Amino acid sequence: MLKRRIIPCLDVHNGRVVKGVHFKGLRDAGDPIEAARAYDKQGADEICLLDITATTEGRETFVDVVRRVAPQLFVPMTVGGGIRRASDVRRLLNAGADKVALNSAAVTNPNLIRSLADNYGSQCIVIAVDVRRIDPRPHDRHPMFEVVINGGKRGTGIDALWWCERVAALGAGELLLTSMDKDGTKEGYDLWITREIARRVPIPIIASGGVGELEHLRQGLASDAGAADAALAASIFHFGLYTIGQAKQYLQNHGIPVRILDSNKAGG
Amino acid sequence: MGRELTIVDVGLGNLASAERALHQVGAAVTITSDPDIIATSRMLVFPGQGAFGAMTDDIVNGAIGAAVKMVIERGDPFLGICLGMQLLFEGSAESDGRVGLGILPGRCQRFPLNMTEPGSDRPLKVPHMGWNDVSPGGDHYYFVHSYYVPAEDCPDLMWSTTYGDVSLAAAVRRDNIYGCQFHPEKSQNAGLKFLRGFILGGRGS
Repeated sequence: MLKRRIIPCLDVHNGRVVKGVHFKGLRDAGDPIEAARAYDKQGADEICLLDITATTEGRETFVDVVRRVAPQLFVPMTVGGGIRRASDVRRLLNAGADKVALNSAAVTNPNLIRSLADNYGSQCIVIAVDVRRIDPRPHDRHPMFEVVINGGKRGTGIDALWWCERVAALGAGELLLTSMDKDGTKEGYDLWITREIARRVPIPIIASGGVGELEHLRQGLASDAGAADAALAASIFHFGLYTIGQAKQYLQNHGIPVRILDSNKAGG
Repeated sequence: MGRELTIVDVGLGNLASAERALHQVGAAVTITSDPDIIATSRMLVFPGQGAFGAMTDDIVNGAIGAAVKMVIERGDPFLGICLGMQLLFEGSAESDGRVGLGILPGRCQRFPLNMTEPGSDRPLKVPHMGWNDVSPGGDHYYFVHSYYVPAEDCPDLMWSTTYGDVSLAAAVRRDNIYGCQFHPEKSQNAGLKFLRGFILGGRGS
């Protein structure tokens, strides 16, 4: 059967990993190439690189990082951050990315999703959707979420569930769903919206934002909780708290189907 | 050094991963879209991306298609990856009326809508995206596809995998002709092992 995926995410600023990576065996914790290679060895199912640089020069540096990371990996790599137009997508795919994640640009220009999916195939177009809870109106019977853009700075008033369904209809291959309320809290994913979207939207969902312990990964993936297809996390892996192998062993022990490497079984 | 191998480039998608993986298992790789070079290759890999219809227009009806067939009919090893495997068959529900190379019997179907995980009401997504285990063997490979060759209709089945209640061809083989629905170049050690098997397996019986 198809396994749930575990995806470590590296935030890259001016060519360096930020929110530092601190696990054993790395000579240079800030080097995205070393970090990505280490995650590949630990059994990551995919690797995600996010560019959090805001400058044009930083963007060029990021393309170069992608070009240098790609040859180190034998798993798929998703890249995102600051992608505005089709030419950005082309450049990143040519640099060796397998999938690109668009965020604000998809909201301001939804037709871009369709044209990118037509040109490059849905399988490589991921739409990153950042959401936050808003106060329900009197007639709302469940929690309400809006889409936020520009790194969570700007609310759009767009209903998150509606947007995710639209994105899928426009040809996106996958959704990367981040709860801005939970991001950085270590309290776990926002399970309500994750589950709602996972059950209503016909494309795979990657849960993101808030993981502080292994149990949160389980919650994000379990059918009776978040029901996501993949779980993305950053800090629990960066700080050497857990290896990917340990995370997968925990998930398997709790009934979540995952891919376990032979080297993981040996306790690696 | 290494076995000489040609990757067919039809201008869709990045071939760097496939090149690197094949190099890793000992191939000396040339990437080309030149039908003459393709036709004289002694070992050919056809990675596929994009839509079946667009591909068959270029491939089946074009000079590249003729060159690919020449290599296969001569008995030299051929590997089709993902859409490259699907093209070996007679046709696909993705593009009705278009024909594939028709070298292997069978047709590609689309995953049904509203599939759920067996024994639960959890919806299954299309594309079938991620790591799935194959039978026999149990190794995991990385898949991304919305169309599939039904395992039960495929006499040249090598490995199958299941998604929902669908059993699909994960890898096929007939003599010198190999195909895999998964991406071996994205499947870590298991993928490299599969590619090594192709390179060493050669022309078959």
